[in-house]
Amino acid sequence: MNVRSGLLALTAVLMLVDFYLISMVAPTDSVLGHVQRIFYFHVPMAIMSFLAFFVVFLASIIFLVKRASLWDRLAYASAEVGVVFVTLALITGIIWARPVWNTWWTWEPRLTTTLILWLIYVAYLMIRSYAPNRAKASLYGAVVGIVGFIDVPIVYYSVIWWRSIHPSPVVGPLAPSNSLDPTMLWVLLFSFAAFLALFCWLVAERMALRQSEEGVTQVRFSIRRAQG
Amino acid sequence: MVLLSLLLQGQAPPPNLPYLFAALAVSWAVFFVYAFWMSRRQADLRREIEEIRKDLEDKGS
Repeated sequence: MNVRSGLLALTAVLMLVDFYLISMVAPTDSVLGHVQRIFYFHVPMAIMSFLAFFVVFLASIIFLVKRASLWDRLAYASAEVGVVFVTLALITGIIWARPVWNTWWTWEPRLTTTLILWLIYVAYLMIRSYAPNRAKASLYGAVVGIVGFIDVPIVYYSVIWWRSIHPSPVVGPLAPSNSLDPTMLWVLLFSFAAFLALFCWLVAERMALRQSEEGVTQVRFSIRRAQG
Repeated sequence: MVLLSLLLQGQAPPPNLPYLFAALAVSWAVFFVYAFWMSRRQADLRREIEEIRKDLEDKGS
């Protein structure tokens, strides 16, 4: 069993257990009811997108220093997976907002900055696709990957800087102590572990796919050059 | 499972339950589509590599 198969098996097991914990073990919120269970995947998906974009930021810096394609591949894979996670965090947030806030969308700071984050990394993927060659795609991508990360702390602190309708953090350095029921807290922490495994598996798969894509492009280019 | 437990208890499902199912369904649908797209793309690339290999073999013989 290779690493990717092992990660897939681990992810599947953790996700099944997580689904059971969310459905059967986590207590029902006394105010919001069952819809509050969206919290156990909405929050981990949002945090995984932050982690993904932090990986893009770090890998882009290392790529600019070392110019090794491994770091470029990691940045690209992490950006794409991050876009998937932030898209789902937005969609699940929209679905949760309807019964709780009585609206699908409102231009409050957390939602607006998250939408900007989504646009930045969709732009990152588009810039890489439309760049004239691979070297320029990697270079432009690295610059956008570093500069674009500025929005991540803005998204995180937005609920503190501009108090609005979105709830404050319930875990992490900005959360007040005892802000969450202990059972809810450990179900949430388990969800983080499950989504972390999913993130690692998706990035590993996307990196392997990217390596194959680059290999095929390189071989085709070499054949064309040899043929004149 | 939430719905199942409610039905077993003879209770009517709460009105906001469909939102929970919608969020779960959309999330899993997106992850499965993304994973499926990656496996399809990997299979396409394997086929492409095989075609290149055959082309090179034909030109070499």
